[in-house]
Amino acid sequence: MPAELHLARRYLLGLRRRTHVATVTLISMVGLGLGVLALVVTLALLDGFQSTIRAEIVNRAAHARVVPIDGRQLENPSELASVLQGEFPQVELVQIVRGTCLVSSLTDAVPASVVGRSDALEVSVDRLLAARLAIGRSDDVQVISPRHRLTPMGPLPIRVRTEIARVHVPEPGAETGSVRLPLELAQRLLWGGPVVEAIDLRDVEDPWRLGARVRGVLADRGVPVRVDGLEELHRPLLLALALERVMIFLAVGLMLVVAALNLLCNVAMVAAEKRIDLSVLAGIGLSPRSLRRLFLLLGVGIGMVGSVVGASLGVGISLLLDTTAALPLPRGVFVVSSVPFRVDPATVVIVMAVALALAAAASWLPSRMIARREPAEGLRFE
Amino acid sequence: MNDKQTLVELRSVSKGFGDSSTRVEVLRDLDMEVSRGALLAVVGPSGVGKSTLLHLIGLLDRPDEGHIALDGSDVGDLDGETRARLRNRTIGFVFQHHYLLDELDARDNIALPLRIAGEGAVAARARADELLDAVSLDDRAHHFPDQLSGGEQQRVAVARALAMKPRLLLADEPTGNLDRENSEQVFGLVRELHLLAGLTSIIVTHDEELARMCDGTFRLAPAGERFEYV
Repeated sequence: MPAELHLARRYLLGLRRRTHVATVTLISMVGLGLGVLALVVTLALLDGFQSTIRAEIVNRAAHARVVPIDGRQLENPSELASVLQGEFPQVELVQIVRGTCLVSSLTDAVPASVVGRSDALEVSVDRLLAARLAIGRSDDVQVISPRHRLTPMGPLPIRVRTEIARVHVPEPGAETGSVRLPLELAQRLLWGGPVVEAIDLRDVEDPWRLGARVRGVLADRGVPVRVDGLEELHRPLLLALALERVMIFLAVGLMLVVAALNLLCNVAMVAAEKRIDLSVLAGIGLSPRSLRRLFLLLGVGIGMVGSVVGASLGVGISLLLDTTAALPLPRGVFVVSSVPFRVDPATVVIVMAVALALAAAASWLPSRMIARREPAEGLRFE
Repeated sequence: MNDKQTLVELRSVSKGFGDSSTRVEVLRDLDMEVSRGALLAVVGPSGVGKSTLLHLIGLLDRPDEGHIALDGSDVGDLDGETRARLRNRTIGFVFQHHYLLDELDARDNIALPLRIAGEGAVAARARADELLDAVSLDDRAHHFPDQLSGGEQQRVAVARALAMKPRLLLADEPTGNLDRENSEQVFGLVRELHLLAGLTSIIVTHDEELARMCDGTFRLAPAGERFEYV
């Protein structure tokens, strides 16, 4: 063990022998520990909510979408669908058309998104549309297309009267109401023929990489289509989540900076208190480089103890709050019943690494000043 | 700087402190030679620069002017790392107030120069045990400085100074804080180890009686006056 490590260890372990230094050192450790704890708990909370949102996206939305490069119609959709099904037998595959129609009930009419899906056997509306039209299961609605047909009475919009079989949860990020129809019915309303605009794919085993895999297969086969994965389909939301994470990390991380400044004062105070010790150490041969290292080790040692204790407490508190569901949420407002916490080991390691780096940076300045002094300076006025 | 019998040589050394308005010249144009194996006492009134002289010889400080040579080599321009290595391997220090590290017990305090030199813990502690035996403190190995008497602390400090088997021992009023009995005991120990280890020793002291027991006396006078080498 190098002498400076031996000394740093003895200084930290021997703190009880010097009450004043021990007190300020303990305050520095507690400061860093609290900063780490706050950051770990906050990020666990954020990760809890964000992972809930991501899970909702995965549960409810397509994991990849194949769309034409130009225009709105996919060429040979049935052939494309059979190719995809052959390549990815485990994947759920749905042919889609989309458009906007006027949806009316007995009392009101609003424009709404119309989605025709090959897996839809009945008509359903989402909660947003149901609320706007004050309708529910078994009610009748009329879906009126922007397309017209010629009749003896002149051009009339194509319309379908149908009964609502169920009300479903809106897609993540949806703002307007939507109605889900069987594919053929939607094709008749929106296109007048068997047009498919997109093929949605879902792979519950590996949703986040499905887009890249499909893109690779279709590119190899030279199929001229665009494939969007989950990242592309929900880019604004996912970017907002990532940005939120960074901003929270920086904001709460300021606590660590304050703790590091406190540590800097503490190390400078230890250096002042141990002025004679340092001169004696230099006198018996400890080099300026080793003196610098000794104080860096002291700072990092304080940072290590603080960050390990803070991270352990933070992880413990987060897991406890999550498993006991100690912070309940109002039902019907959130998709989860209590505040979720999710501890990501990589995040904890990053927080600890940042705390240690700040501790090292905080002790660097005083260690540099100490190493520059002539050893006799500490002894001169004794 | 050429006599093979000379271990320490100072030529026209000056040292002062403070800025231009508050400057105090402590040493001016000082010449000094110390032969190998000598036990030299440095005496003089307070503030005359005895400790400063010892710090300069011990490479704890740098002169404003002049040259200092150890074993024939000029050490004035050496960088901090080389000076530290020289202090560790060539020079042993005993300070007035023992200056043991509070966090280390007697054995670890003595072993510290060896640890700094890169010795392993086991070997360093074995050498420390030898020295504890030599200063008759083998039963105090695990006592911390605040659990030792003043005389014992200073004996531990002497043992620490000799841990690396230095060629030059520098002692700054090693008996300054001790009563007569402990003073004579510590000084007797220093002299005994000086002879046993074949050291060259320079001892700063106020005590004329102890100075007379040395091979020679270097009497420092205030700057501007002549110094006397007896």
